[in-house]
Amino acid sequence: METWIKVKGLEKKLDGFKLGPLDVEFESGTIHVIVGNNGSGKSTLFKQMMNLVTYDKGQIEVMGYSVDGKEESWKKKIAYQPQTLIGCVEFTGNQLQQIISPMYSNWDQSLFSRIVEMLNLPLDRKYGKLSQGVQQKLSIALTLARDTDILLLDEPTAHMDIPSKRLLMDLFVEWMERGEKLMVISSHQTEDIRKLADYLLLMRDGQLIGKYLKEDLSSSHKRYWLAQQLPVEKVPGEIERKNERMVVTSSAEEAESFFEARQINWLEAEALDIDEIVSYMLGGGRQ
Amino acid sequence: MELPIRMDKDSKTPIYHQIEEQVKALIAGGHLAAGSTLPSIRSLSKELEISVITTRRAYLNLEQQGFIKTTQGKGTFVAEVEADKKKEVTVAAIYQALERGIETGLRHDYTIEQIEEAFQEIITSFKAKEKEEVKKHGNLD
Repeated sequence: METWIKVKGLEKKLDGFKLGPLDVEFESGTIHVIVGNNGSGKSTLFKQMMNLVTYDKGQIEVMGYSVDGKEESWKKKIAYQPQTLIGCVEFTGNQLQQIISPMYSNWDQSLFSRIVEMLNLPLDRKYGKLSQGVQQKLSIALTLARDTDILLLDEPTAHMDIPSKRLLMDLFVEWMERGEKLMVISSHQTEDIRKLADYLLLMRDGQLIGKYLKEDLSSSHKRYWLAQQLPVEKVPGEIERKNERMVVTSSAEEAESFFEARQINWLEAEALDIDEIVSYMLGGGRQ
Repeated sequence: MELPIRMDKDSKTPIYHQIEEQVKALIAGGHLAAGSTLPSIRSLSKELEISVITTRRAYLNLEQQGFIKTTQGKGTFVAEVEADKKKEVTVAAIYQALERGIETGLRHDYTIEQIEEAFQEIITSFKAKEKEEVKKHGNLD
């Protein structure tokens, strides 16, 4: 594992919205899933990492190269998939493939054909005439086949049907095993978080709440049903209490020593689902 | 290739340790023969819904203890494990299961003596069952 993308002190002000300061690093061999409310700044961060949107302060480095517009050779190492492809409406899938493939020396034509077949993509129809879901599938085929070191995917499966999402999940796993790779995905899909994420990055209102190893989040968040009434004082890490018998904490270990020290017994302890944890952390409360 | 492994997310045993124990048990029980392929770290992580960091840790420990081996570019395989070592795993699993039972008793404020009594009762009923089986099917010679 090496650090392939470094974001340091990144800041940007835009029409009453402030992004950052953001400090985060992305390591090779891993999948990072960025989760955040709408308008939390996820897409802006992606665009900044691709040098498509400017920033006021800070710096971004991709594989040792500074992303500031002077030197652009690092772009060959990254494939970025925006939420909507711009300027493609008039082209068919076949034409897009002919335009994009020569730009990437690692272009894998057999992988492209396999994805096209697997997802049943009509390459002879104009991109603009396709449904949103099919547009996304085509754009994933065009992105994965570049076989770059880094993949940045901005909500790649948002409009897709369930069977296609599952197929893509397997494709992403397979892609990660082609070598030392880094994948950064923004997503609202619980399945992406459950099945793909090694690290979760939680964003809210332009701020990074934190970067977490998935299991660390799951093992620290627990719900307890107590045999006695809860004390008036707060339980360590307390996020919610109900009926004076149920409490949810983000620091299970400390909460347990707290209970033990006060001789409070619990009838049941339950780990929270990852989407429940995310809702708590993003301020949505219990689902 | 998938493994019949189940994580207990409510358990206090760390996830990587749960994987280790279950893979060892599968090998010791003969369900995974020497030479059979194990899933890649990434696909097992997807199945178990955990990070590759945790899965890698479990695989590294299993490799260090000689239960599996990884060949660059080919994948991960079950190693030849000596009969003694397999037996060790089985014995450890039995002890652990019994210990867990005793701990459950202690958590419910049973004394060691009470638990011992319960244990004797269970053993007696198992022995009785065994006798009945012998009666039904004749001598097990």
